[in-house]
Order: sequence, then structure tokens, then C-alpha cells
Amino acid sequence: MPAATVSDAIERASAAYAALAELGESIEDEWSYVTDLQAAWQARFDAISAARGGTAIDAATDAAVDAAIDEIALIADPHRAIDWLSTFPQVVLLALGEPG
Amino acid sequence: MRFQDAARDGRAVVYAGIQADPLVARAAGLLGDASRAQRLLARAVMNGESTDADGWRSMFPTLFGPAATAADRERSEVILEVSLAVADRGEQVRSQVRGALVEELTAILLGRRVEAANVRRERRILFDGIRAEIHPYDVTVERDRAAEAWDCKWGARGINADVLHQLDDAHAHATDEDERLLVGLVVFDARRSCDVRLARQSAPTAATRLVTLETLDALAGRKP
Repeated sequence: MPAATVSDAIERASAAYAALAELGESIEDEWSYVTDLQAAWQARFDAISAARGGTAIDAATDAAVDAAIDEIALIADPHRAIDWLSTFPQVVLLALGEPG
Repeated sequence: MRFQDAARDGRAVVYAGIQADPLVARAAGLLGDASRAQRLLARAVMNGESTDADGWRSMFPTLFGPAATAADRERSEVILEVSLAVADRGEQVRSQVRGALVEELTAILLGRRVEAANVRRERRILFDGIRAEIHPYDVTVERDRAAEAWDCKWGARGINADVLHQLDDAHAHATDEDERLLVGLVVFDARRSCDVRLARQSAPTAATRLVTLETLDALAGRKP
């Protein structure tokens, strides 16, 4: 099985992140903030993917991204989802060895 | 310009109990000497759903994996343990604990740059002829010609027009009195998220310093 790459990890993270944003958007007063926040961090994900998407990642990094995805999949409260819209990308970036 | 204790109303009494929780002091003490990654671990766990320590260790391989030094791993373990203890509180209580934690951490870091006795909590600032603000400042540094007023937030979402106006007004009133008052926000969140939040605010921000998860150590006078 070929080694996972940065792009693979970001693709999975982006899909989970979009679902989290959808949950956060249910707080109507924060709709603009949620969409802007998602756009800002997704742009950061995209930039990393463009810069070094083909780079292989080790099993621990791959597992770290999956653990973060598993964590946000547990969230049902939209307020907590909004908080994690900021936390999740930071955790993923740290795992990938990227500055915030 | 002068400083005054905030009124001891019902909210203040309840919140004082949260601030006095030993868990707040323990967590803040640990995070005062933590790395940025360890602070992010605390942020994630304290706001997390899962209480499975192994899952969190797996999420932060740079802190718990073989590349981490034994000393760093040990500190990360203690931070994880304390953060899980915070997460274990009920939703409302843990929200209050997190807020109190950011304030305590701010006070600890400021106390490394200025005399600790000059760092105060829950204080109002009074100006001649100006009606006092209802809400006290979370942390103040009270010294001649170099006073500071800080408001503390757990996340970028806590930034709002009211707090920005209050900080800016205080700075303007101090300037009117020919006093020097540094005003700022300490946000236990990423700069990028704070910038997104601030971009939608029309309140003035030019005079307000912003300290984020990446730059917390600047409060102590250390280069981040």
C-alpha cells in the first residue's frame, strides 16, 4: 500500500471540516463568522496541499489527523462546533508540521 | 485615572468561586511554562468531547511520540491530565473554568514582566467626568505612567463590539488625562481566527493590542 501523503490527509480533513462548518452554521447570528472562518482555514489547507501535497507522511501523522477527524465527528452542539472550527485546523497543521 | 475594585454583585461572588478553584491555578501554572503545542493540546482537550487519553495522545504525536524529550512528554502528560479534569466538569462550569484559566494565565505571565503586586484582577478604571463602565477589566497592571488593562477570552468568538469599544474608550480617556494606558485582548486562540473575527467588527481597534495563542509569552516580555 503506498504511503499516505499530505494531500490525502488534507482531503480527509477538509471533508470533515466542511461538515463541522455546516453544524456551526445553524447558529444564525454567527453564520458570517462561520463561513469566513471556514474559508480562511480552508485556504490555509489548500496552500499546504499546493506546496507539498505529494509529500509522504508517516503513520503517526496520518493517525493524528484521523484522531482529530474522529473527535469532531463526535460534536453535536453547534456552539462547540464553532469553537472547533478554529481548533481543528490548528491541530491538523501541528500534526503536519506546519506553523499555524 | 484611577483603579477600583469591581462591585461584589452576585455574578462576581459566583465567579470568584470559579477563579479560586485549585484546578484553575494548577492549569494556569502549567500553561505558563508550556509550549505553543502544549497550549493547543489544552485548548483542544478542554473543549473536547472525548475523555479517552490515548485518543488525545494519538492526536498530538509531536508531544507524546518518540521525538519528544522525556521532560516535554512528562509535562504534556500532566497538561493532558489537568485538561481532562476541566473537560470532566459540566458544560457550564467548564466554560467558566476556561475563562478563569485564561485570566489566571494572563496574570501569571504579566507577573513575570512587572512586579506581581501591580497585577490586579477584576478592576474598574475611573476617569474624571466619565461614567464608569459596568464591566471590570479582567487583568490590570497598575503602575505610574505604564498602566495596562487586559480583557481575556477563551476563543476568537468572544471578541465583540462591546469589549472593543470599552478598551478603546479607556485608552482614549487615559490619553485625555495625559496618562499612559496600554489596552489589549488576550485570546487563547489562533491569530488567524481572531483576524477573521476582527474583520467583521466596526469598533475601533487601532489602540488595542492583540495577544493570541502564538504570542502569549509576549505578556511576560519574551519574544514569541
